[in-house]
Formats: sequence, C-alpha cells, structure tokens
Amino acid sequence: MIQADAALISASSLFLAAAGLTLIFGAMRVINLAHGSFYMFGAFLTTSLVGLATGSRFWWAVPVAALGVAVMGGVVEVSTIRRVYGREHLTQLLATFALLLMFADVALWIWGAEYRTVPLPESMFGGIEIAGQLVPRYHAVIIGTAVAVGVGLWLLLRFTLLGWKIRAAVDDPESLEAGGVNLRALYTIVFALGAFLAGLGGAIISPQISVSPGLDLSIIVLAFIVTVIGGLGSVLGAAVGALLIGAAETLGTNIAPDMASTFPYLAMIAVLAVRPWGLFGVPER
Amino acid sequence: MRVKQRGIFRLIGPSAAFALAAVLVMAGGSSAGQERRFAGSVNVGISTTLSGSIAQLGQGGLNGVQLAVEEINAKGGLLRKQVRVVSADDNATPATGSSNVRSMILDKKIRALFGPVSSAVAAAELQLTAEHKVPTFLHTSNDITLMTKRYTPYAFQVVPNTVMEPRAVAAFLKKHVTDRNLSVATFAPDYVFGRNTVTNFLQALKDLNVKFEVVNQQWPALGAPNIAPQLSSLIQSRPEVTFNVQFGGDLVNFTKQAAGFGFFKSTRIVAMYSLDPLTALAPNAPKGGIAYSRAPFWAIKTPEMTRFVTKYRQRYKEWPNEWAILAYTAVQSWAHAVQSTKSFNSDKVARFLPGKTVPTIRGPIKIRACDHQAEVPHYVSTIWDKPHPQVKVPLWSPVVFIAKPSQIMISCAESLKLRES
Repeated sequence: MIQADAALISASSLFLAAAGLTLIFGAMRVINLAHGSFYMFGAFLTTSLVGLATGSRFWWAVPVAALGVAVMGGVVEVSTIRRVYGREHLTQLLATFALLLMFADVALWIWGAEYRTVPLPESMFGGIEIAGQLVPRYHAVIIGTAVAVGVGLWLLLRFTLLGWKIRAAVDDPESLEAGGVNLRALYTIVFALGAFLAGLGGAIISPQISVSPGLDLSIIVLAFIVTVIGGLGSVLGAAVGALLIGAAETLGTNIAPDMASTFPYLAMIAVLAVRPWGLFGVPER
Repeated sequence: MRVKQRGIFRLIGPSAAFALAAVLVMAGGSSAGQERRFAGSVNVGISTTLSGSIAQLGQGGLNGVQLAVEEINAKGGLLRKQVRVVSADDNATPATGSSNVRSMILDKKIRALFGPVSSAVAAAELQLTAEHKVPTFLHTSNDITLMTKRYTPYAFQVVPNTVMEPRAVAAFLKKHVTDRNLSVATFAPDYVFGRNTVTNFLQALKDLNVKFEVVNQQWPALGAPNIAPQLSSLIQSRPEVTFNVQFGGDLVNFTKQAAGFGFFKSTRIVAMYSLDPLTALAPNAPKGGIAYSRAPFWAIKTPEMTRFVTKYRQRYKEWPNEWAILAYTAVQSWAHAVQSTKSFNSDKVARFLPGKTVPTIRGPIKIRACDHQAEVPHYVSTIWDKPHPQVKVPLWSPVVFIAKPSQIMISCAESLKLRES
C-alpha cells in the first residue's frame, strides 16, 4: 500500500509540474525551461501568502498564488516568448533558460536564499488508515489535484471552444488566424494557463517540501523527462509518463537503493529507444 | 514645467547645498579617520552555498565570518590592517566553488579562505588553496578525508568530522538502548559526507558492542524535492532507530513527510535537529527524537558565547545557528595565528597553528598537529516538548550529552594511516 502511495505521490507531483509544460509545447511548439521558475514562484508565493505563523490561510493562498503566476506567465509571453515563435528549438531553449536564470535572481532578491516552509493546514494533520497502513491525509489532496488537472485539461481541450482553438492552432494556425481568431491572444492565454498549472503545482506541493531557490532547476529536469517520455505536447502522455517515472523511482528504490536516482533516466532511455517521439507524441515533420 | 523645476531648485538650493556640503565633510572626515586607523587592508574569502535547500548553512557561516571581521576591524584591525570579506555563492557544486576560489586568490589576493558547506566542494577547493598556499579553514564541511587523504599543510578543520559526529551519536544511543538486537535504518544524502557518516556510525555502534541489524539504507540526492520512494521503503522496513544524516531544508522535508505516515511513533529518529530545523518545524518537531549539533549556543556555557549571542542578535535580529558559531571560531583561529606570528604570511600562519590552543567563543580549541583537526566536542540530546525560555520554540532537553574530543576522535596513528591509504 505504502509503495503504491509513494508511486502515486511521485507521479502526481511530476504530472502537476509537467502538465503546463506539455500544454505550452503542444499548442505553441515552445520548450519553456522557465516553467521551473513558474513552479518555484507558485511555491514561494504560497509561503508569503500563508505566512509562517498559521496554516489557516492555505486554502485560498493556493489559487491566489497560481493566479499570480498565471499573470506573470502572461507578461512573459507578451514581452519575450512571442519573439521566439517559429524559431529553432535551440533559440527557444536559450531564451527560456535565460528567463529561468533571471527569475532565479528575482526570487533570491524577493525571498532570500534561505528555505521557507508552509505549515500544513490543521485539517490535513494525521493520516488515513488504508490496509493497516497510515497514509498522510494531504496525499489525497495532491493526488486529487493532479487528477482534477488531468481531467480538467482533457475536458477543456475536448469540449470547449477554447480547446478547439488550441487544437486548431496546433494543426493549422494560419487557417485559424484567417478565420478571425486572434492568434496572439490565444497564445498568451495558453501560456498563462501553462504558467497557472505550474504555479498550482508549486503551491499545492509547498507544505510537503522546504521551498528554496534551486527548486526551479530540480523540478524542470524531472518535468522535462516526464514530458519527453509521454511525448511533447500530449497531456495524456504527461500523465502516463509521470506514472511511469513514479513507478520506476519507487521500484528502483526497493531493488537497488544505491542507484535509485538512475531509474527514471533508464526508463527514459528505454522509452526513447523504442519510440523516439515519446509514448503519445508524434514524429515532428 | 522646466521653469517650475528651476524655481523649486532655487528654493531648496541653499539648504540642499549646505546639507550636501555637510555630508561630504562628514564623509571625508570619516574616510580620513579610517585611513588613519588602518595601515591598508587585507582580503579574506568565503565561498559557500548561499542558494538552495542548504543555503541556511552557508548564510549562517557568512554571517559568522562577517561579524567576526567587523569586530576585528572595530578593534583597529589585524596588525593595523582593515580586514575585508569577499564572498561568493558556490551553488553546492565543486566546479563553481573552485572557480570562486581561483578568482578570490588571483584577483582579490585573499589571505585566508573560509567555507564551504559541502565536503565535495571543499575537496575541490583544497587543491587550489594548497597550490597557492592560502590558509583554509573548514567550519561546515566536515568529511574526515579532507584532513586525511586530502591533507594539505594549509587546511584546518574546526568542526567535528564525519567520524567524531557519528561516534558521539552512537555513544548517546548506546546509553538509551537495551541489549536486544536493534533494527536500524539510515537515510543520508548521496555524496561523500552522507556515505562516510553512515559508514562511521555503523562502525561506531559495532565498536561500542551495540547489537543491531541494518534493515534499510536510503541515499536520496542532496536537495531532492521528492523523497516519497525512499521514504516509503524506509517506513516499510519498520526500523526501531532511524539515523538521518540530512540537514537544513532536506531534513525539514523529511520530517514533514514522515510525520504524515505516523513514522515517528514507531521509530526513534536520530538527526541533526539543531536551531534552524527545529524553528522551521515548530511546534511539530518529533518530540523525544535524538538531536545532535556541532555547536548549539544554548549548550555552550562560556561567557564569550553569551556575549557573542547578544552581539549576533543585535547585528542580525535572529539567534545564531551553529554554522555562524563555527564560522566565527574559524576566523578567530586565523586571527589568533596572524596576531601571534605578527604576519599574514601563509607559511607562518600554517606552521603556527598545528598543536596550538586557540581561545574561541566555544572555549579553548586545540588544533591537532598531526592532521589539523580541531579537538572539539560534539553535542547530543533529545527534542524537548517545552519551548526554550529565550528562543520560544521547543529545542533540546536540558540534559545535553557532550562527547569529549578524546572519546570521539581517531588517533593520530589512525589519521596518518588514512592519509597514506
């Protein structure tokens, strides 16, 4: 039971970090390394909103932090990202990596170098007993949020006008624009939504970790692995990729604790050897 | 609009000019005074981790170094020279640490180096400082190999090393366990410090004839945000004692996540629960858990420490963590050598310190001649359920076990053997 919980928690945390990354790539073909910054800012904003003394403000702090990061994402898209559309991936990588470094300095300036903690809301203290094993109550919130994000994205892309536009923007942006859709505004919305998801991921995970500078880099590497395994641009792929990495990490820890950190990379190599474009991705034309 | 501005300037001009002149005169006077006070200046460097989950250790160390230097300068400097601190963030990576130190040596001409946090970074830096003959004082990184296999005549370690620390913990544990077989698990960051501390802890238990069985060992990466897989494996092995070698934010992460599983009800946790983690976790620190620290101010009863704590609080508006205390004593050690030799010459400083006893806020500390390891005690206790009267968060039980240097240090013969191995 406890192993299954560990795999699910790892997968949920990874999916929350990767969902926005893959959404942005799917719609805009931009590999956004600054996504790690959005995740970190979500966590840092939560620490500021909640304050150190009490956990009672946590539940409203999470959406407010995520919305704050969405606004930040919108500004970044308008000011920087739209200048690299259609460029080579290497150019985009360099531009977004520069953003990541700049935001790391901004975070350092605002929140300092020391780690900050978010107290768990009192209602989340303790655990739920499942099959004789106590599992932290808050894990249900993390897993539930990941499921809600996955289902929400699927519903959005499948059944809403915005979703239709996003899918159309992937397939044929020129025709969409000719049809009167403001492509620039659409890209800004998608980018802000991706940033929102990253901010939400950072905010929801903040009571489980110590929030500190460096979180951006550590999370973007894993989120990128998940996205690549699932197939760049596929939300379903990100979910499956996250589950695969979560399971590989948990299994690896039990089989060979000395080499546990190697297993996610082994899983990535194995998947890419068979399907270089990822499990649910499509080969780039 | 322009006319209006001119008008305003005309209005405030005389008073602004007077104020500016006054400030310049005062600044000039002060500058001239500084020059009269000091006969030039010297630089010292601190390259340490100032960002990431272990930044609190580096920042504490930097605070300690800066305070010590400020006090030296307030008393007229060292050999009448003003001491200046050059600092840099090493990001806990050896390459960055080496680059920082190279720049400090070649560009800033530092006379001594303090730091870093990570033993892996320290190992990389020691090669450089030995090559350029810069006295180096390790006050946080404590791997034993730094003073044995990687020994250089210019490096000194003023912190309990990775043999002393686990030996102190094992000695404390020995007093609190029964004769029956004890199931033990370890959880340590996956680098030289974590690996060596665990190996030496298990060896110390064996040496003390504690009957035990290792049921689980986990090696999460330093600063890893997700430790769920390692934690689940640890919990499932149901150890009676868990020795956690993590520190800073990583230890806080572990404690928060493990508490959710009710893990501390079934295991006796042993970890570096010092000021920062206990403050961050308050009031949910694992009460009754075994806590250890290299220099907790509340357990060091010297008048100098009391004075230091007061000054530190005035300067930084917070309580000093052990990293600040250790760094402060590192500067005291260097300054003592400079004053005693009446020279900043690195060879003179490096030759003076071995075998000498240095007066510090932690009490007199002897630097062992054979390996330059400071003969310092180590502190172990249990996490208390009542708030500390001054700090206002639960810290340690008033009963603190202070392991003496003679009890926990390896002999000089053993040290030399390790150096040659």
